[in-house]
Amino acid sequence: MKRYECLQAIAPMIKDELFVTTAGGATNEWFAVRPSDGNLQVKTLGLCSSIGLGVAIALPRRKVFVFDGDGALWMNFGSLATIGLHQPKNLVHICWDNRQYESSGGEPTVSTAGRIDYAEAARAAGIQSLRHVNTVAELRDAVRYALDHDGPHFIWASIEPGRTQVPPLPYDELENKYRFIRYIEETEGVSILQIPISHSYQLGSEKRGR
Amino acid sequence: MASPERAREIVVGLKEAGIQLVASVPDINLLQVLNLLYEDRGIIHVPVGREEEGVGVCTGAYLGGKRPALLMQNAGFMASCNGLTTTALQFGIPVVLLVYYAGDMGDNAFHMLGLLTEPVLDGLGIKYSVMRDPSMVRKQIAEAVTAAEASKRPVALLLTRAVL
Repeated sequence: MKRYECLQAIAPMIKDELFVTTAGGATNEWFAVRPSDGNLQVKTLGLCSSIGLGVAIALPRRKVFVFDGDGALWMNFGSLATIGLHQPKNLVHICWDNRQYESSGGEPTVSTAGRIDYAEAARAAGIQSLRHVNTVAELRDAVRYALDHDGPHFIWASIEPGRTQVPPLPYDELENKYRFIRYIEETEGVSILQIPISHSYQLGSEKRGR
Repeated sequence: MASPERAREIVVGLKEAGIQLVASVPDINLLQVLNLLYEDRGIIHVPVGREEEGVGVCTGAYLGGKRPALLMQNAGFMASCNGLTTTALQFGIPVVLLVYYAGDMGDNAFHMLGLLTEPVLDGLGIKYSVMRDPSMVRKQIAEAVTAAEASKRPVALLLTRAVL
């Protein structure tokens, strides 16, 4: 199965869940398939699962999806152990495994040799809800289960290499950050971006008050 | 020796400044602070295996509405430079880095860390204060939080043994 058809299969199942997506094709394709301010692009290879964990801990009642890759997860493999330790019930971690560093030119990853079992690794790290999926139907079933049940969930999706031609991201990381925060503020009914009153204004109003 | 009273000043200072989540990697000099964080129900404590994970966790926590800090040794600060650069700085994430200052003047371990910590902070463009006076701890934490929020950038506090 191709990543793009997987994303197209997942998108209709999604309402207001948050998505933290790894640097590379998964981000571009997901932004094209499901344009939303609830999507956050990640620039640091490997860090998507840690950022997703942070969002999941901060918003424990909100489902948070992480789109990881086989190369990215290799770079931050300890993140599985940290997720296993903290047991965020609302985290859905999907590893799109195309057995290569696609964004870097297709070099082999740890997965290329075919010996690593990411699902067993996640199980050994203490993550109980695991799936290894090879078809779109299996993936849809795994995502449905993750949406309806407490996690943490880990889905190892074996996919064919290759990107689908999609438009470039509609905005840079700063605008993405602000849109993502505003989306959380609106959907959670909270205030996150507080702009402090400047000292000069405070001094001015004290003077006027006197 | 690290003192429970001084550690309490740090945790009280973090709470007063509105810090809601602390990600951490241990150091012997941070033991008392970590003991308090493990007990405290008022701050979400997220132990991580590697400091760069902590940069990610703090970033996610900030986006989700929690004011974060990352507690670690300066070896860990060095190890997390890419995460700080391509996530915290590039996205503009206010996170307070509480960094134990190994190799500080008078410390015979990790002298190279002591030599390079401040130049690396300067190189990354991360504003910082060195904490040497226990009576200033709460004020310096509050100032660091204000600086981080105002600049939407990481800000570091270098914790010397005098304040631990």
